[in-house]
Parts: sequence; structure tokens; C-alpha cells
Amino acid sequence: MRHIAVVLLACLPAAALAAPAKPALTAAQRAATHAMFEHVINTPTVIGRHRVPEMAQYVADQFKAGGFPADDVHVLPYHTGSATTGEDDTAALIVRWRAAGTPKARPIMLMGHMDVVEAKREDSTTDPFVLTEKDGYYYGRGTIDMKDGIVGITQAMINLKAAGFKPKRDIVVLFTGDEETNGIGATNGATEWLPLLANPEYGLNADGGGGGFNPDGTNAGFTMQTAEKTFAGYTLTVRNRGGHSSKPRKDNAIYSLAHALDKIEAYRFTPMQSETTRAYFSAREKMEKGALGDAMRAWLANPNDGAAADAVEASESEVGLTRTRCVPTRLFAGHADNALPQLATAMINCRIFPGIDPNAVKAELERVVADPEVVVTRNDKYVSSISSPLRPDVTGAYTRAVQTLHPGMPVFPEMSTGASDARPFRVAGIPVYGTNGGWVVVPIDFRAHGKDERLPVESLYDNVVHWQLMLRDLAGK
Amino acid sequence: MRRAALLLACLSASVSAIAAPDPRTIPTKLDPVWQAKTRAVFKQAIEIPTVTGRGQVPKMAQLVADQLTAGGFPASDIRILPYEGVPGDKTAALIFRWRADHPTRKPILLLGHMDVVEAKREDWKFDPFQFREEGGYFYGRGTSDMKNGDVAMTMAMLKLKAAGFKPNRDIILFLSGDEETMGRGATLGSTEWRNLTDAEFGLNADGGCASYDRGFRPLGCGISTAEKTFQTYFFTAHNPGGHSSRPRPDNAIYDLADALKALQAHRFTPMLNATSRGYFEERARQEGDSPLGQQIRRWLADPNDGADADAIEANPLEVGLTRTRCVATMLQAGHADNALPQTARATVNCRIMPGVDPKTVQAELQQLAGPKIEIVPDPNYIGRPTPVSPLRPDVLKAVTAAIQRFHGPGMHVYPVMQTGASDGSFFRAAGIPVYDVDGSWGISPDDERAHGLDERVPVRAMYDDVLHWEMLLRDLAGK
Repeated sequence: MRHIAVVLLACLPAAALAAPAKPALTAAQRAATHAMFEHVINTPTVIGRHRVPEMAQYVADQFKAGGFPADDVHVLPYHTGSATTGEDDTAALIVRWRAAGTPKARPIMLMGHMDVVEAKREDSTTDPFVLTEKDGYYYGRGTIDMKDGIVGITQAMINLKAAGFKPKRDIVVLFTGDEETNGIGATNGATEWLPLLANPEYGLNADGGGGGFNPDGTNAGFTMQTAEKTFAGYTLTVRNRGGHSSKPRKDNAIYSLAHALDKIEAYRFTPMQSETTRAYFSAREKMEKGALGDAMRAWLANPNDGAAADAVEASESEVGLTRTRCVPTRLFAGHADNALPQLATAMINCRIFPGIDPNAVKAELERVVADPEVVVTRNDKYVSSISSPLRPDVTGAYTRAVQTLHPGMPVFPEMSTGASDARPFRVAGIPVYGTNGGWVVVPIDFRAHGKDERLPVESLYDNVVHWQLMLRDLAGK
Repeated sequence: MRRAALLLACLSASVSAIAAPDPRTIPTKLDPVWQAKTRAVFKQAIEIPTVTGRGQVPKMAQLVADQLTAGGFPASDIRILPYEGVPGDKTAALIFRWRADHPTRKPILLLGHMDVVEAKREDWKFDPFQFREEGGYFYGRGTSDMKNGDVAMTMAMLKLKAAGFKPNRDIILFLSGDEETMGRGATLGSTEWRNLTDAEFGLNADGGCASYDRGFRPLGCGISTAEKTFQTYFFTAHNPGGHSSRPRPDNAIYDLADALKALQAHRFTPMLNATSRGYFEERARQEGDSPLGQQIRRWLADPNDGADADAIEANPLEVGLTRTRCVATMLQAGHADNALPQTARATVNCRIMPGVDPKTVQAELQQLAGPKIEIVPDPNYIGRPTPVSPLRPDVLKAVTAAIQRFHGPGMHVYPVMQTGASDGSFFRAAGIPVYDVDGSWGISPDDERAHGLDERVPVRAMYDDVLHWEMLLRDLAGK
């Protein structure tokens, strides 16, 4: 699940200075990158199609062809599935690039996922599983979520090795095969596969971070994802004796549920700030001169200023960033149009502020609904996600890489409102930072999971350079 | 769809000084041989899950046909007519004609339906399609709505045939297969198949008339002579939707919830008609000086007395009898747990007073729901107001005699307006008066579980019903 920060404004003047020559790929490296991208986009790694293992083997073969020893390249088949997602025989890829000599530190883990969400031919302008170049864009499912990142990391490592780069610490790669559905690959990575990953110090996730330009070409900003809200589902259930609809009872499961939903609509969770969101809003307020900026400034100055937090939350660009949010997404009730409902249920989808226990949110929902007839249950066993502390080395390397390629680009940390493979690692005490170098035009290119997903052509190649810069910086010194 | 008369005389405590016997413990008058036969057929009928879409109704029709042929009726007089109810629902009707050798009058039409409302295993204490006898009751989906009536009519005819009875007019049995959903069987029965069903009047087994209160006092037997118009509406809220991690200020589910709260609070204007007036006159007599009795008398004296009509409607015994009622019965919203809903839809089921155009009800609903909600009538079933059937003296006399044989003179017989539509409405609309006169009964309100959980019928009510139909047919087709 790709989360590119929705940064819409930042009308910073374009750098008027003559920019130094940007580092770029050679023609041969561009061709290799393109070939790899085309191959993986054309492999439809949707759940249920059993194509992830083939893609994992292909990427493994690229590493081996690039000189990585076969003993350090592992394709790990596994099964994923659940009642709501269907089943798949999928696979993960783990690659270990060992440090030359005694490692100076614990490994850096590079993360991504090889699976994509479904895309139907009839819903798309071009075949979503045939890479199509048109008008300066690559079109296809997975172009931004996130086969660009898979190719970016893989090609960067191959290029670095070819250039004779010798890491001073191990670099390990974990590409999973079910991030969009069940996340079993990431859970395995944080547990039984951890020895294969050589117990990394932290992870850099290509499924997070990145940035954008405004349609007028000005910088919109790059973000580094350091936290994500906890995804948790709840069900509200009301039962009733029911009966014949010609004789309405005073109590009705649907009406009880409607009142409960009304209370949830009116309820606002308490605003919260974290290190990540404080840093995010500190950067954002500088870009916002008007009322929104004033609200950010007031809230940063006084975290107890609930009205200011409410004003920030109400802004379309900041939804979900100031607190836990819960919203009903589905309803089911009744069994016949001429019978009073015996059962009425609502699915409540919550995005919980990092560090808050989903069980506490359940208790809070129960207090809000305040009706013993309305039973609140959890739909999953997800545990609270944890923010990763801001590290000067990672923040510095990311900022330098971004600004080398995009001079003057603002960079700030971000809490994403969705969930990714980072969660089980963060929970296991391994911080993860979303540090991809891809960029798009905002907001028109936000098409992850949607129709006609696309990536600017140059973004693909910039991202390879970006990962080369990051690895030289973090593993080369 | 079964509507047991919901009557509970709020008699003052002083009246109940003499404990009435529990009607469930009084032995049935049906002899044991016919009890066993009835039970065996009833068990088979209940265990065929004739829910819409499951394709099981033809099996039930075959079960009834097999009983009739085994009882000596010629197979050539039994037809099983397959048809489609809601799209994809392969169902069937059964039409059987017991021919009189020398008919002296137009036929009598006996009406019933073989389909049942959905019942989910997880909602019930026991498997709803597993026949059970427990504590003086038969349990299972369809035990009161209305496989009991189907079986009672069938067994009564078999019993009469075995006894050598020869009707003086044709008796037509018409069992439909989609009464609970489309009513297409009754539509066909009253139009395309009219030559097979044409009759002087119809007796519908889908409306047991008698009941007792929890103190076992008789509450009377109401014969349906009018019915409210059934119309379902869909309330739909639309929204652009989006990712659930970024909730929008507007939400289709919240819009729908607001409309449902408005619906819950809404009250339609009270109305009286000839049938409901006859009904409430009987109820006032039963109630005497109780608060409900006084309210009814005041409302009858002044039909514009809205406060008294509201008080009557609020009484659990009189729900739906003073006005049009609409209630939310189903919800469906959203397409994924992690996506904001693009559509939220509620099913609202209305029972409209006879003579009121469903379009005016729709306009009233639109007013309360507001502009964010789109309201359309269920395109699968457009309700049609039906006339009140005048109560025939011969039917009233025969039903009174049968009812009072089992329940004594304290069980009054009087007209009622049904709050729901049944197959009878199609025949009424086509000019055949229909009376709901099934002889089943129960304890009100505990046994009123049609369409609900743990549906049941007293064992004795099932067996007495066979005798009840036997008496009615002897009376109306034998004299």
C-alpha cells in the first residue's frame, strides 16, 4: 500500500541558481532498468494468480547475474490467505550483501513488496499488465505501488556492485509477496526469517516516502515515512427478536444501529502529537500562510488547543493526521424485506494513532455508543503500531539524496494513515523509514490502487540514483 | 404471510379471579390415527426449506400431490405449475380440483402458500428446517406461516374423502410458491390461470384467526376482510467514497442513518375504514372500561381524535391498525472494509391503509428523509390498493360454528383488516372475495413468531386445524 504524502502546496520559487549537473544513469543502466521494470510490471502479481514466486525468481536471477553469490539469494515460498482476500501461493525474496571485512554496524534492511492490487482490463485504458509508455509516463499496475521501488533497490545494488562499491555493513533485502492483503511475509520477516535478515538495525522501506511536484512544476515536497497509524476493524452488532414487518416493534436493530452511528459521527477522538507529526506540522506550517497555517502554529504552540487541532483535521490535506479516526464502511442488516431485522451490523474502520492500543479504542467506542444493545467487537488481532524515532543519519541521507536530485526540495517526516509491511518490524523494535525516491505530479498521479496507475518516466531512473546515493551514504562510510 | 390477530384484552385483574385452563393442554379432538398422519406430512413439509431461491418449492408441491393421489384423488385433477418468482427463483404452484358430481354452486377456492421466509441456522436455537416437537409445540420455519394451513387443508380433504364425503360444489386448492417475495403465483392464479381458480369466494389458510392471552382468556377470532397495501421502498444515499484512512466530512452511511432516525420518529395520519371500524367496535366491547377501551370508544366517536389514535397504535396489541406504517427492515452499505461507502441502502417496508395511493406515501417519506436520500419503490413489487371484501353471512356462520366448537362461545368472531398483504389481495383485486379463516391459534404475543426466531405452533392447534377445515368444508360445500 503506497503512501505518498498529499502535499499540495509549497509554492516555493523554483531554484533560480544554475543547478550542478545531477548524477544520472548511463545508457546501459537505463536500458537494464527499463527491461527489469517491463518484466515485473508484465507479471500480474495479484493475489490468487500465483505469479509472485515467478517474479521473485526473476529478481533473484537479476541479483545473481549482477554478481551476488547464490548462497546469499533466497526465494522463500509461502502461503497467504484469509476469508476476505482469497488465497495465494506467494513468495518472498531475501538477499544479503555482506560487508567487506568486519561490519561497522548491524545491517540495513531494504524493504518492498512484489504483489499488487487487482486491476481489471475493462476498468483500465491500457492493459494494466502490459507496461505502456505514453506522454512521459509509464502506465501499468504496480508502476508506483511499488514495482518502481523493487527495481530502484535492485538496480541500485547491481550498479553499485558493478562500480566496485564495498559496503561497510551488511545490506539485506526483503521483498514480500502479500503486503496488499495479509502481510504474512512481513510478519515472517520480523520473526522466523529474522536470522536470514541478520537482525538488521533498521529498515528502509521503498513502499513509503517519495514526493512530488505541483502541476506548475514547483516543488511540493518529499516525505520520509517514520510512523503509521494502526489499522483495526471493529463490528457493531445489534440483535433483536425481530418479527413481522407489518407489526413494527418499538425497538428495532436498525434504528439502534443508526443511533450508534450517529454518535460515532459526532465523536472526535482526542488530538495527539508525536515526534513525527510535530516535525511534519513544523515543516507544513512554514508552507501555509493562511488560516490552516495559523491553526498548525497554534496547535504546535499549545498541544491542548483542541479547536486548533480540529481546524487542522478539517483540512482536506490533513485528514487523519491529528488523531485516531474511525469511520463506518459497511452495513448489513435484516434477512427479508418483510421481516423486522434480527441482526444489524456496521463495520467500523479505525486508523489509530501510533502507540494507542486497539483494545483501548474498542473500549472508547463502547463508551461513545453507550448502548448495551450495541455490542462492539474487534475484527482482527492487530497490535498497536509504533513510531520510529527520527535518526539523524537516515534523515540526513534521505534529505541529501532528495536534494541532490531535486535542489531546494523541502523534506519532512510523515505519519501515514495507512498500514504497510513496516508494522511488524516496528513492533519488534526494528525502526523502519519510508525512504523511496520516486516522485509524481500531485495530486493527479495519486492512482495507487486506482485506475490507470502511472509513474513519470524519469522518476523510475531518478529512483535508482536515489537508492545508490542512500546506500553510499549509509553503508559506505 | 401470516398475521395472527394481535389481541390482548387488558382485562382488569379482578375479572381474572377464575383461572382459565391452558388451551394447549386440552386434548385435541382429532383421532390418533389422523394425528399421526398429519404429523408425518407436517414434518416432511417443514423439512423442505422452501425459501426463495433454493428451488425446493416444487418438492413440497410434489409432497402435497402425492398425499392427494394416495388418498384416492385422480392425478388428472392435480396440476403442478412451475413458474419463476423473483428472477432466478424456480418455484411452482399446485392447483387441485375436487370435483363435485353435480355442482349446484360456484366453486370454493382454498388458498395457501408453500414458500417460507428465510431463517438462518445461526440465529435460531435449533435448525429451523429440522422439525421438532417440544413442550406442546411444533417448531420450525413455516410451522405457523403457513405450512400448518397447507397441511390442515390437505389432511381435511383426505379425511373427508376417506369418510365418503361428496361435495356439492367444486373445491379448488391453490397453493402458491412465492407469496413471501413476489406474489407472482397469486398474480398468475388470479389472471392467467383464472379458468382453473375461478370461484364464488376464497378461504385463505394464511391467517389463523383465534388467539388467547397469557392468562388463557380468548381474544377472539378475526376474519380478514381487508388488507393494507404492501409496498417496499429503497432509501439510497450516494457518496463519492474514497479511502477509509481519510474520512470525508460527508458519508453515505451517516446520511442514511439520519434518514432512518427521521423515519423512526415519523407517524402517519390515523385513518378508519368500514372493516377497522367493525374491528374496533368488537375490541371496545372486549376491553370494557380499560384505558384502551376508552381510547377506542373516543376515537370511534371522533375519528379526528389523533391523540387517542396514537395511544391505540402505541399499544402492542393494535400496532399497524390505525394508520399506514413503514419500518426499516434491511441495510446494505459499502464494498470493502477499508473504503468509504459509495452507496448505503435501506429497505423500508410499508403497510399502507386500503385506498391510499402508495405514491403519496412515497412523497411523504421523501419529505422526511430529505434531499440526500433517493427513494424508489421496489421495482419487483408495485403494491396495488385492494377493495374490502364484504363479510358473507354463510362464511361468518360456518367459521363461528367451527371456532366455537373448539374454543367455546367466548371466542368471538369479527372482521379485521390485515396489516400485511397476502395472496388473497390478488384475488380480491380480481373480484373474488377472500376471507382468512384458518383455524390455527396461539398464545398472544408469545407465539407470534411468523418471520421471526424459533417459529412455532401449539401441537393442539395443528391438529384442531384439520378438524376446523373439515367442518368448514362440510358446512360450505356439503349443505
